[in-house]
Amino acid sequence: MSLAEWFQWLEQTPASTAIAESIWLFPLLEGSHILALPLSVGMIVFFDLHLLGLTLVGSRAATVMSEMLRWSKIGFAVMFVTGGLLLMCHAGRAYGNPFFRAKMIFLLVLGLNAAVYQVVFFPKMPQWAAGSTPAGARFCAVLSLIVWIGVIVCGRTMAYQF
Amino acid sequence: MPLIVFIRDSQYGMPIAQSVHLVGLTILLATVLVLNLRLADVALKDSSLHWLAQQLRPWMLGGLAVVLLSGALIFIGTPEKYLASNPFRVKMATLFLAMLFQYGALRRFAAPDSAPRSRAISLIVAAVSLTLWFTVGWAGRAIAFIP
Repeated sequence: MSLAEWFQWLEQTPASTAIAESIWLFPLLEGSHILALPLSVGMIVFFDLHLLGLTLVGSRAATVMSEMLRWSKIGFAVMFVTGGLLLMCHAGRAYGNPFFRAKMIFLLVLGLNAAVYQVVFFPKMPQWAAGSTPAGARFCAVLSLIVWIGVIVCGRTMAYQF
Repeated sequence: MPLIVFIRDSQYGMPIAQSVHLVGLTILLATVLVLNLRLADVALKDSSLHWLAQQLRPWMLGGLAVVLLSGALIFIGTPEKYLASNPFRVKMATLFLAMLFQYGALRRFAAPDSAPRSRAISLIVAAVSLTLWFTVGWAGRAIAFIP
């Protein structure tokens, strides 16, 4: 079975049609997916802004950041569960949609970016003086901010095309 | 105004305007979450609420400005649609209450000379604030589903 066929099949499973046709479940999933943004992407945005010296600057910032990142995991758990179920309902139509494809590529880029940051820069963070974020870490932050905005734009736009 | 016509009539106008609305929402509600989690003593106990509020204030006001401006541009294209919508009325009422509560109550708790307060009061204030702000969001989403 090709990937395209598998997406077609996924959209037609009884669970998918049940969610898509439910009067309250689909709006509930969509609303949860959107309102988990502040707890997931929002925390990452503030981490990036902190790296760029734009907020939460000071001696206490490091602990604040690690705690905010821990909270973001709850937000991302909600994102993946609700996003996975929403995708199930629209899998066949999502497969060829350019905005869906762009969103998935953006998420992949963000995952790689976060992994690079985690390995290369995160362990050295306590050694940086306030406001002296290395250029590489700043690059990761700017990339993250731009691509997360791209994810939001693509996610909102693809929903208009189903 | 061409911008309003672009948002209302062009293929990508509304998705773009709503994306801007969502970016503003992400920033605004992230600051609301952080401040209320701290106020309720659930998170970030090493930092004072005053310091957090001071650091986040420009972003909170910036996020609010973005949602209000993008929301107004979306509204003005088809005002009759929104004025007839029950969820929209709920959204505007709770938005007003949430901003009032933020300004009246939370700001006082974040003052540097804020008197020590009981855990119960902090919890209630945080819960009310979070409920109000997230009701605004849910009511906004409901516009698409409920007349």
